[in-house]
Amino acid sequence: MQPFGCGSEEHVRVVREIELPSPPDEVWQALTDPERLEEWFATEVELDAEPGGRGVFRWSNGEERHAVVEEVVPERRFAFVWGEEGDPSSAEGSRRVSIELEEIDAGTRVTVTEAPTAGWGTALALHALLQSACVGA
Amino acid sequence: MSARSDSAGQVFSALADPQRRVVVELLAARGSATGTELAAELPVTRQAVAKHLGALARAGLVESARAGRETRYRLTPGPLAEALDWMVSVGAEWDERLARLRGYLKAEG
Repeated sequence: MQPFGCGSEEHVRVVREIELPSPPDEVWQALTDPERLEEWFATEVELDAEPGGRGVFRWSNGEERHAVVEEVVPERRFAFVWGEEGDPSSAEGSRRVSIELEEIDAGTRVTVTEAPTAGWGTALALHALLQSACVGA
Repeated sequence: MSARSDSAGQVFSALADPQRRVVVELLAARGSATGTELAAELPVTRQAVAKHLGALARAGLVESARAGRETRYRLTPGPLAEALDWMVSVGAEWDERLARLRGYLKAEG
């Protein structure tokens, strides 16, 4: 896999991958169940893990993010748009997060992709930067 | 079109040219350079380098300062630095979260 998706349409993104020694159903629960999310992700979590469902994440430092769920394929794929303020579906500065789960011998491979939603100035600057990073790729 | 997306459009088109991207890379590596110094490292004329620097300056990516008889160019801290900061901080956030997820699942399992 090329870093930053050189040569693809989606240049602007951060991708992280991790292999976890737990089966996909456990990982899925940890990622989508508000009570479990409060154990590792944020201090307070409200989440309706269904397409169109809303989510609110609060941290003890006062940080807060609002999310709208876009895609739910149990044990496979969870995608949402989130942002710091306003309606994340339309607010400037919103980012799309997609989390892919893949069953592997050792457990589950989780791939997280976060990308600014269209219309964000920084996103376009990033796009340009990453194209420049793709020179010769 | 907003002023903001318009300037991003300029960044795009300025960096669409491969030689301009090399100019940006050279400036990033050196901190600053004159047109003559850049031309010495590129298979193009001093005039072509000046054109590229002009396009990059119009897009807000490069600024110039006169030092005696020469003009030195450097990258502006604006758009590119902002982009890099974004990537670094979002990447670090996920590194941290995924490490906590691993710890949580380990404790549960």
